[in-house]
Amino acid sequence: MSPQLSSCLETGEPAMVSSAKAAAIPRDSRGRIPVRCRQRNPFIPVFLTGTALLAMLSLWYLGIDWGKMLSRVPDIGIVFWNLAHLDFSNMDLIFSSLVETISIAVLSLLYSLLLGIVFGMLAARNVFRLPVLSVLTQSFFTFLRAVPTPVWVLLMLVCLGMGPEAGVAGLCVHTTAFFTKSFAQSFESIPDETVESLEVTGASRLSIFCNAILPAAFSQIVAWAGMRLETNFSECAILGMVGAGGIGYVISNSLQGYDYGTAGVAILLVFAVAYTIERIFVRIKRQFNT
Amino acid sequence: MTGRIPLIARDLKRLYTGFIIAAVVLFVVCTLLTGFNPGVLAANSGAFWEFITQDFLPPALPKASRIPGVLESVVVTLALALSSTTVAAILAFFVSLFGSEKVSPFPRAAKFVRGFATFLRNIPALVWAFILFSSLGIGTGVSFVALCITSFAFLVRAFVETMEDVSQDCVESLLTVGASFPQRVSQAILPSCLSGFLSWFLYSVEVNIRASTIVGMVGGGGVGLTLFSYIKSFQYDVALSIILLIAVMVIAVDQITNKLRKELLK
Amino acid sequence: MEPFLRFDNVTKNYPNGVHALQGINLTVSEGEFISVIGPSGSGKSTLLRAINALIPISGGTVWLDGENVSRQHGRDLRALRRKVGMIFQNYNLVYSLSVLQNVLHGRLGYMPGMKGILGLYSEEDKRRALELLEELGLQDFAYNRASDLSGGQKQRVGIARAIMQQPKLLLCDEPIASLDPSSAKTIMDLLRTMTAKRNIACLVNLHQLDVAMQYSTRIIGLSKGQVVFDGPPAELTPDVIERIYGTARENLMMGGKANDRTDSADCA
Repeated sequence: MSPQLSSCLETGEPAMVSSAKAAAIPRDSRGRIPVRCRQRNPFIPVFLTGTALLAMLSLWYLGIDWGKMLSRVPDIGIVFWNLAHLDFSNMDLIFSSLVETISIAVLSLLYSLLLGIVFGMLAARNVFRLPVLSVLTQSFFTFLRAVPTPVWVLLMLVCLGMGPEAGVAGLCVHTTAFFTKSFAQSFESIPDETVESLEVTGASRLSIFCNAILPAAFSQIVAWAGMRLETNFSECAILGMVGAGGIGYVISNSLQGYDYGTAGVAILLVFAVAYTIERIFVRIKRQFNT
Repeated sequence: MTGRIPLIARDLKRLYTGFIIAAVVLFVVCTLLTGFNPGVLAANSGAFWEFITQDFLPPALPKASRIPGVLESVVVTLALALSSTTVAAILAFFVSLFGSEKVSPFPRAAKFVRGFATFLRNIPALVWAFILFSSLGIGTGVSFVALCITSFAFLVRAFVETMEDVSQDCVESLLTVGASFPQRVSQAILPSCLSGFLSWFLYSVEVNIRASTIVGMVGGGGVGLTLFSYIKSFQYDVALSIILLIAVMVIAVDQITNKLRKELLK
Repeated sequence: MEPFLRFDNVTKNYPNGVHALQGINLTVSEGEFISVIGPSGSGKSTLLRAINALIPISGGTVWLDGENVSRQHGRDLRALRRKVGMIFQNYNLVYSLSVLQNVLHGRLGYMPGMKGILGLYSEEDKRRALELLEELGLQDFAYNRASDLSGGQKQRVGIARAIMQQPKLLLCDEPIASLDPSSAKTIMDLLRTMTAKRNIACLVNLHQLDVAMQYSTRIIGLSKGQVVFDGPPAELTPDVIERIYGTARENLMMGGKANDRTDSADCA
């Protein structure tokens, strides 16, 4: 570093750079010094423009009548105003349907937990070591998972008629599919040495699963179950709106019957339960981590 | 299960025992409350099987004249999900800047921003759709707004968490050089969090594909409405092909987003 | 001559009841190289962050270049912060940007409006940044991602960013706490030479007593939020050290005796 250069750094005056140094400074085509990284991910700008274009195209395709929507915005205010006038006269109905909704969510979670362990066992590659079985189970449940829960509930309603059975069975389809995939992942993450050490003792595959794999994956199973309870509750809450019972039915029915006070109470209760589940789960997770 | 390998620490073991006891108690209580009887399922298994083999299988195509309409409804669902997530993500980005005490220029308001997002998030999209239906009438516009609300709320939380994880330190260093708030956003938060934001955006698209199908079923349009109308008119074999179509759509989108995510995080 | 920085009975109480600073009085003049030492929790970090208002103080006044720091808001506060560079233990770089962009961040305080937001730096600034990188031996890394660098190199980028601000005062918050011994020595040497050359006052928080003794022109000892020592390194006697840390000096050394200063500085 020449003294000349260091002095110009202090004063901020243009440097008298020697020609050799000037050549070392890279320039772009317009004679400016580039500042950005040599290695950038060229995909990110492509992705951003692509998404923006597709989104605009989609909006145009949907052809939403914004003028009409905007003209009705004041109505939204009126609806919220009406919802805020809580009406507690139907509390028994609201409360019993809320309990029903929670119970269905919990029951479907528990049944799916058991089913998920069984099917997860079939789907995991390291339990029976039958690749065909794993692939078949996994692709079947991928299909079940891809179809939204209300569809399954609707079909169960057709088969079983109204009642908690249709709700539980319908919710179980999606929840079991979810658990099967997650549990299979957890089982597969057990180190092979653990399994092999039991294999050499001549234990059967099922007893290896029960004694080594399942206990080791238990903490993850609990975590998945906690995570899923949140989803199950909110899915169960909307089932009533597509024709099943529970709190969703109360909400949609009272909204359609202009009984906003009752609907407001029911919506608030749905929020309160969902929020409580979320808080509890956040707290448990924090305890797990520390 | 005796002779289990001691893979679990003692305090965790107590937690597991607690979990199992809680599960059993909950099971009993909930079964009593709902009167749910798994026997009903077993007793109905004949009817069940009959329904699947007679009504459901084999899948039948809708009438040739209606096929274009069905495909169009799939496009509507996809368009709804993509556009609502994009709009929600843009809004969520700006709002989330004010949702973290460490980043926002108004730290005192951060709590309210997060609380607002929590409120919106914990009410399911379908409930929002119903509230909006009763004021705006049914249609794709309302589904768009309902989907926007929930994904906006979800993304605000995800973005705030990403920002607090990733860019808290560099925001502090840009404070010390005397950079203004817009400068801190564009020079520190955006470059450091962009890939995290995009990854959450893709996740949100996946969620919204399913959600837009559901909202469609109650009157929001799209493939959900198509499916609902076939079920209501007892054409279960056609409904099955629509269900297969939905599954293909969802799986395809999941595959694409996974691929995109890998490319973005490279 | 009016000192560049003056603490006037400064206190800081956190909402959780911790009294981090209790009536601090001190002055810093141009060209000084001051180490702030003290056990963890003694308020070192709070002291540094009170200077550029990263942490608002509860009482007293911080005078910086003749202005009351806590009275400044918005544009004025940013203009004041510009005069004070800061270096962090965790480097606090934007790792997805290039090394050069990180160095140029030091100029943001001088750039109004859209230019700063879009990162359109002047050619003059860019050339100065490149020269600075060369002075720090990082010229080959200018266009690498900041995340590709080693710890010592990242800290050198941090120094370059602070120097780009053309500050009159440099605050260093545990600059070598996350570094291996040889990079730590390089960083301390660079800090001393670069600030001496530009006549920048330097205030360094240090854990390592021997490094403080070797490099500084003046040492400030903090204990429980109070200044218990303020003077040249030569006056830092064993009982003063015991007063600062609450323990004898021998217990602070990881091997090596108290009197072989240079050796222990290297391995600090």
